[in-house]
Amino acid sequence: MGLQMRIHLRDILQKNSLRNYYLRGRVEGFQFDVLLANYRGHFLSTIEQLEVSINDQPVPKKDILFCLNGKEFIVDDLKNQSNEFWTIATPATIKVRKPGGLEKGSHKVTLTLILRNPYLPKPGSTQPHDYIPINSSDEQHMELC
Amino acid sequence: MADIKLGVTLYSFTYEYVTGKYSLEDCVRKAAELGVDGYEIVATQMIPSYPYISDEFLAKVSEFEYKYGIRPVAYGANTDRGKLHDRDLNDEELVNDTIRDIQNAHKLGCKVVRAQYLLSPENLVRIAPYAEEYDVKVGIEIHNPETPSTPAMQRYLEAIEKSGSTHIGFVPDLGCFATKPNIKNYDGALKKGANKEMLDYAVELKRADVPLREAEQRLKDKGADPHVMSAFYDMYGYLTFYNEPDLDGLRRIMPYVFHFHGKFHAMRNGEETSIPYPEVLEAIFNTDFSGYIVSEYEGHSLRADGLVDYDAFEAVRQHLEMERRILAELGQKQK
Repeated sequence: MGLQMRIHLRDILQKNSLRNYYLRGRVEGFQFDVLLANYRGHFLSTIEQLEVSINDQPVPKKDILFCLNGKEFIVDDLKNQSNEFWTIATPATIKVRKPGGLEKGSHKVTLTLILRNPYLPKPGSTQPHDYIPINSSDEQHMELC
Repeated sequence: MADIKLGVTLYSFTYEYVTGKYSLEDCVRKAAELGVDGYEIVATQMIPSYPYISDEFLAKVSEFEYKYGIRPVAYGANTDRGKLHDRDLNDEELVNDTIRDIQNAHKLGCKVVRAQYLLSPENLVRIAPYAEEYDVKVGIEIHNPETPSTPAMQRYLEAIEKSGSTHIGFVPDLGCFATKPNIKNYDGALKKGANKEMLDYAVELKRADVPLREAEQRLKDKGADPHVMSAFYDMYGYLTFYNEPDLDGLRRIMPYVFHFHGKFHAMRNGEETSIPYPEVLEAIFNTDFSGYIVSEYEGHSLRADGLVDYDAFEAVRQHLEMERRILAELGQKQK
């Protein structure tokens, strides 16, 4: 991969945030919280790649929800959210639909999160719409709370 | 003689804010403790209701002013031309976003908006009537590797002069007058294991103004390691330095300068390690400038990397102390 920005001043995957979530009394899936690896916030439309693996198993895109500001977005709809802002101080919640949820104990969570830095074109690029990527990916062994 | 006021950009507390050590209120309070009465806020960083200003946020800002005696004087805007997923914003959309920034600044009582170079000279001229309507001055940031005399900035100068507007101009970042590689770049590379001889060769190439591609090739031919190469790209980019600070260029644009970012990376023995503040402040002092220089600490990771032993608050304290000392000396000379 070429030039990337990564301002990694803090944890991206948030400790003590992995838990099963319920819907009408049943475990619908699991969720965890994420903070951006940057110094400023971004519009959700700048998210170019969002993938999750749990214990090295990739999660199908259709089972992922990105939750912020009281809203739940499917992955393919994030690109249309050019007025929905993710501040640097607000954790987003990633929900993964998995009826029954996760077992107790530690799980390896792998997040691939790449954004477009919308005010920093790649140096020397003459292409339109060609910006430096921000890498906000992370991998942690997380304890189910 | 200039009327220089000193302020702090809350961006200086990026590390503390991002790690949750400081709340927004802490950032404002800490800035006030440094003895200044004005702060700059980067909207995309610290305004929870961005891209709008909520009444709740406005109430907070007023409350902080009442409690700490410090208020926002400048609004740092980001020109997010690439925010849509499939194309760049067109001129109308860029202008609309900037009008919203002007209105936001107006709500907060900021007299200056820092815009970025993706707002073209033509679009800067287009927003002039709005800047005048709200009496908010919009300045294009001059940031490394640009300096006041580089062609891109000269195109703004031409457009600004032709427009006749008093409300569009520049916000120079003093980092653009750096004359040495900065500590993050140089010492940071050494700490990561860069070969010193090769790193010094990279500095030498930059000093000799060898063009980027040619210099890159020469370093690769000599087998420079990745840490040297990474530092080398920074030396030709956002962390560049010049043999001479472009102070003639600065003097030329001063009638259109509203505000300065007092960029600094590291303080040692009361001096900034790469930017010649005494010369730069003297140049500003001898103009009719009236406005703020806000201390902008950009050493967010230096302490965690073991390159400095002070936090942002102490760094800014030393920076303000240096500026006050230099300005007092200049004032003495005047008498």
